[in-house]
Amino acid sequence: MNQGLLVAKNLGRRKLRTILLLVAIFIAFFLYGGLESFQRAFYASSDAAASDRLISVNKVNFTLPLPVSYAARIAAVDGVKHVTYQNWFGGYYQDPKEVLFMFAAEPASYLDVYSDVVMPAAQRQAWLADRGGLIVGRTAADKYHWKVGDHIPISSNIYSRSNGSHTWDFTISGIFTDANEKAREGMVLMRHDYFDESVTFGRDTVNMFMFTTTSTQLNDRIAKAIDAQFANSPDETTTDTAAAFNRAFAAQLGNIALIITLVVATAFAAILLIVGNTLVMSVRERTREIAVLKTLGFSGTTILAQILAESLLLALLGALLGLGFAALLLKLISSITAGFVGSLLMSWPVFAAGIGWAVLLGLVTGAIPAWSGLRLRIAAGLGRR
Amino acid sequence: MGRLFRQITALAAMNIRSIPQRLWMSLSTVVAIALVVAVLLAFLAMGNGFRQAQSSAGAPDIAILMRDGAQAEINSVVLRDQAVLIEEAPGIAREAGQPLVSAEIYVIVDGVNRANGLKSNLPLRGLSAAGVALRHNIRITQGRMFRPGTNEIVAGLSVVREFAGFDLGKTLRLGQSNWTIVGVFEDGGTVRESELWADVGTVQTVFKRLNSFQTIRARLSSAAELPALKAYVAADPRLKLLVETEQEYFAEQANQSSGLIQWLGWPLAITMAIGALAGALNTMYSSVAARATEIATLRSIGFGGVPTFAGTLAEALVLALLGGLVGIMAAALLFHGYTASTLGANFTQVVFTFRVTPGLCVSALFLALAVGLIGGLFPALRAARLPIAGMLGEQ
Repeated sequence: MNQGLLVAKNLGRRKLRTILLLVAIFIAFFLYGGLESFQRAFYASSDAAASDRLISVNKVNFTLPLPVSYAARIAAVDGVKHVTYQNWFGGYYQDPKEVLFMFAAEPASYLDVYSDVVMPAAQRQAWLADRGGLIVGRTAADKYHWKVGDHIPISSNIYSRSNGSHTWDFTISGIFTDANEKAREGMVLMRHDYFDESVTFGRDTVNMFMFTTTSTQLNDRIAKAIDAQFANSPDETTTDTAAAFNRAFAAQLGNIALIITLVVATAFAAILLIVGNTLVMSVRERTREIAVLKTLGFSGTTILAQILAESLLLALLGALLGLGFAALLLKLISSITAGFVGSLLMSWPVFAAGIGWAVLLGLVTGAIPAWSGLRLRIAAGLGRR
Repeated sequence: MGRLFRQITALAAMNIRSIPQRLWMSLSTVVAIALVVAVLLAFLAMGNGFRQAQSSAGAPDIAILMRDGAQAEINSVVLRDQAVLIEEAPGIAREAGQPLVSAEIYVIVDGVNRANGLKSNLPLRGLSAAGVALRHNIRITQGRMFRPGTNEIVAGLSVVREFAGFDLGKTLRLGQSNWTIVGVFEDGGTVRESELWADVGTVQTVFKRLNSFQTIRARLSSAAELPALKAYVAADPRLKLLVETEQEYFAEQANQSSGLIQWLGWPLAITMAIGALAGALNTMYSSVAARATEIATLRSIGFGGVPTFAGTLAEALVLALLGGLVGIMAAALLFHGYTASTLGANFTQVVFTFRVTPGLCVSALFLALAVGLIGGLFPALRAARLPIAGMLGEQ
């Protein structure tokens, strides 16, 4: 008889038990796949941010204003390539509780600094030409069913217009993608000149300057030069890489990574116990059979390999189902969420690491029963019931 | 009826006493259920602590007025003229002839989180004497209150604990001015303790917002005066403001963010519980299998199907109960009283304490028992239906 068939027969002998084990393993890998992908998406923006991109904000806190005139002085610093700036708008579309990831930005320089922001040339031109134009990321457009050319009202929970209203009218000039920073596709960008001419306060100030450098090696020196330039002025700056800025911001929400690691570790600990114990019991029930197999000439190592193959097969099957289901669910969710989190889709590294964990789980849970199978003495085994 | 009951208790006791014979399988079920319960409680305690920090901060007789549609203090802008109009409004409490109306400025400054060394958003609230008087529940536990017109700050205890540089006597540089921490206040661990307070005029000057504020707070002579104030605001076109009690405002803030935590906790725990359920079913099926001869023997000497069923179910429920209790103890020991902070609706850090409350423990225990109930039900049905003759003959 073929060895593989023997392994399959052993797994199939108590179908219900095998199915229940598969369910337990499935759950653990489903949680791992889903949560790990979420975590990757959550921290993606800091990892993906281009290394030659720097950010200057108010030294007291990044929500406070800086004069827009700083743009020219930052641009004058040696090694700075393109400079742009933005203001948080506090915008919402219809539902005040659902705040858009929306900024007022200077169009031409924004597209220079964020060269990964891609849209058709005609849409790009339209935004550069239309003061009331808006560009929106792919995910945001999908979420609100916006199309190029749509006229939409957007309100601000912060700013008012001189006529007392809080609502601005926009035309959608373009819909963009950003293959590098997926989170950016949840963004909505209005033009800063439109902002400046219509708000009742906050004119000539911005929240943030974003700029690129000619070489990442100059980053440190440039950051110091800029902050030194504005030191002891009424509006001091602090300059850092975009990646460091994003990391610090993500950390403000809490130690998400720790929470996710703990949950996944707990789930794995639980199935390790369940699967490990069940396999020990299942092999103990087969003691006589194993003794018979040994009598027939099967070596101890063959028995060991068979039991390990059984536990590995079980772990891998459960893991594939769990990871597959998680990947499917993430695909569903990612099409309906937009905003602050990047692409939720399961990445190959997450999948591969999952398979790695499955192999480890299979080996660990199979170890004790396989060892006892290897060591089993025929006489003792045949005598046991 | 009495006989049935005696049979049930006899078999339940027998099954439970025999658990040690299947020690490892039973133990793995207990631990798996305990882990599920601990995870659920961790999330619930986190959500509860966050909610508690905010909802317990609001007073029913303090009205808060913000720009209509602002959603949070940080977004709102109100003008000095509007504050003056509110001082004339009906239903406002007075102290020594002065209306208890406080126009407040709310700005965000950086603090360094002690846990990770990274910059975090902290609220600096500018208050007048009336603003301090409004908040009569707070206690200054170190130093003293700031003096009007100075660069002095009093810090909430949560800020001092979680963020570096705000201890009594420390100096802080904000823009071009130096500030001194002259006092530390406590407010029973509410969100107020996550704030820094200073003189409103000084904050306006330093942050260049001479005529604007974020919110107006007013103490009402009684909570019943709110409709009068609302009517007054609605009647004046210069006052496009939203009026609500502080209690309503904080409850809303708590709901907005703690919803997410709760929204995550239950599905995660239920998903994990399904895994634990698979383990429990396996344990109980093997328990029934191991006791097959015993069950058949008992049936043949006159024990009925119902006691057999109940005995097996009791075993599962006892395992689940044990798991639940272990999980609750673990959660209480590990998480209860743990402090953490996250960004609240005002875009600033809200420091909160994990609270494992009896109510949450009951919900967690229900989940554990649900796993026990379902995990025991099907094996118990099998036990009750085991064919007597076949099992005895097989040996």
